[in-house]
Amino acid sequence: MIRNINIILIFTSVVMLSGVYALKFAIEHTASERTALIALIDSQEGDLSVLKADEAVLNQPGHIEPIVKRHQEALAIVPVAQKQFGAFADLPMRPAQPDNAALDALLASLDAGVDPIDAILTSEGIE
Amino acid sequence: MAITADDFAPTIALDGTRKVRGNMTQARLRWVILAIVLGFATVGGRLVQLGMIQPDNSIEGVARSEITATRPPILDRNGLEMAVDIRVPSLYAEPRRIIDVEEAVAKLRTVLPNLSESWLRSRLTGDKGFVWLQRELSPAIEERVMRLGIPGIEFLTESKRFYPGMNEASHILGSTNIDNQGIAGIEKHMDVEDVALLQDLGLARGNALAPVELSIDMRVQHIVHEEMVDALTRYKAIAAAGVMMDIHTGEIIALASVPDFDPNDPSSALVKDSFNRITAGIYELGSTFKTITIAGAIDSGAVTLNDQFDARFGIRYGRYTIDDFHGKHRILSVPEIYKYSSNIGTIRVMQAMGKENYRAFLTRMGLDTRVPFELPEMRLPNVPKNPSDISAATMSFGHGLSVSPLHMAVAMSAIANGGNYIAPTLYRRSLEEAQSEYVRVLKPETSRDMRYLMRLNALEGSGSQTEKVSKGYRIGGKTGTAEKVENGVYSHSKDFNVFAAVFPMDDPQYALVVVVDEPKPENAQSGDTAGFNAGMMSGRIVQRVAPMLGIAPNFSQALDDAMVPPNLIR
Repeated sequence: MIRNINIILIFTSVVMLSGVYALKFAIEHTASERTALIALIDSQEGDLSVLKADEAVLNQPGHIEPIVKRHQEALAIVPVAQKQFGAFADLPMRPAQPDNAALDALLASLDAGVDPIDAILTSEGIE
Repeated sequence: MAITADDFAPTIALDGTRKVRGNMTQARLRWVILAIVLGFATVGGRLVQLGMIQPDNSIEGVARSEITATRPPILDRNGLEMAVDIRVPSLYAEPRRIIDVEEAVAKLRTVLPNLSESWLRSRLTGDKGFVWLQRELSPAIEERVMRLGIPGIEFLTESKRFYPGMNEASHILGSTNIDNQGIAGIEKHMDVEDVALLQDLGLARGNALAPVELSIDMRVQHIVHEEMVDALTRYKAIAAAGVMMDIHTGEIIALASVPDFDPNDPSSALVKDSFNRITAGIYELGSTFKTITIAGAIDSGAVTLNDQFDARFGIRYGRYTIDDFHGKHRILSVPEIYKYSSNIGTIRVMQAMGKENYRAFLTRMGLDTRVPFELPEMRLPNVPKNPSDISAATMSFGHGLSVSPLHMAVAMSAIANGGNYIAPTLYRRSLEEAQSEYVRVLKPETSRDMRYLMRLNALEGSGSQTEKVSKGYRIGGKTGTAEKVENGVYSHSKDFNVFAAVFPMDDPQYALVVVVDEPKPENAQSGDTAGFNAGMMSGRIVQRVAPMLGIAPNFSQALDDAMVPPNLIR
């Protein structure tokens, strides 16, 4: 009877011993995996911080302006002038009725060879 | 023969085998128990000993967590990064673990030849647990040092502050030292004032900190900075500075002062003359002060826009006569005094108000105290406490008292925004928050009159150069050309020029103060008075930034006409 119990106990302790050892090694393995992951995350966070800094540099107005200046000629761009701004509110409202008299006058002047748009263009300094 | 007990040896008493075994087992058990108790005592003692050890986490006297702590990123008002942290490897050694110092020195010098041999040897010798060798290296160097495989030579990842805008916002941001602590500018303010942040810093490793949002608009900041740099070549000035402020909320939109420094290289901040001229420089701001004098006089009720003052003759004080620069020498109305920048007229306006009232008004406008502002680089203004008659006279047109350009920007804001003093700030502030901090210093009617005068000066007076450049954005402002004091006397060849402006004048939003130190004429046609340099710079700045700030150009005459006060007799 006691012998049987002893045998069972010995077996259980051997099994538990090996179980504990297996657990120990599994934990050590997990811990080293964790350390490796932490190191990886750290290095990736480092890379990310550098990339973010890079992006911030590229977004700076002080970085973009020299690029614009360099390509100003090729792209035919100039800083916007005050008179180039407009708004929908600035547009005159459509007349309630067609202005027949004005249209007749316009057609008559076009027939006579005078284009009123020329006068406007000249006064605006475009032509 | 009698048998006595004496003849016998003592009786041999034999214990039974069982008893003998029993005694022996007991003795063994005692020994075993003793051994076990001793064993446990040893283990327990060691545990207690280990528990008593105070782990030394400091690195050369600085807590490790402090060195590896991150700082919150600093963003501008549109979310663009002005300062970020980057992770960099730093090289350190544990001298007590180094086996062969000579070998380590020779090997390290193949990768880092800039380290001196004797310094490195003395650094690596000894029984220390931690010494820095070189901090903030590149990942490539880290890789090469790791390949050397020297025992006791290790890397630690540190946070390093990086300013992507380079020089552009240097005076706002300030800089940090190698331990990532703020030593100037808003960085220092964040550390000194924000106790909560300091506590956070200890735990900040790896934690993402909430970014700090500033009131600065980097686009505007870039343009203001560029114009200041441009002034150094265009006008051969020795220094230039500009500040733009939201007049309703007190938020600083841009603040630039050149010569400046690169915050990524804090040692460049030590170069002479690179101080922040907006906050830490105090100057005689010349005729721009007439705006303040006239505002005070109108507000006191002693003077109205319709009053006339005798500006025919200079005013004598003992040996001195104060006269006008390009004077009209006739009777001038208040708008004319302002437009022609008459010194005589301004003195008369101040006298009508009374010098005590004028001095009290300067206090009310906060011109004789430090501006409440976040930057640590501030200087006290120099305003005479009890000015004599002549001193009060010169003060009325901006001489004999020195204030910072920031003082002027704050005063301009109060004059234009309806008469409310609002302290400037570098952090975001909503209109509601600002309104709760308003201190009324002027009547709204005074503010309206002053807006008219400032706009008038841009249309017809010394601000016309500015108006030409920034036409459509309804700028209004006053020039100031102050002669610099050299060896105790005013120099005729060296000027300090100022332009203090507000735009758009019909619905004022922003105050702009530009100062230029010792400008020369740009070309033969232009002069060296403020209108030609500080004024033109202001015009160019407004012309470029107004569209960004959502101000549409408007050339309508009706806007200017609407600004004329109803009680003005023309």
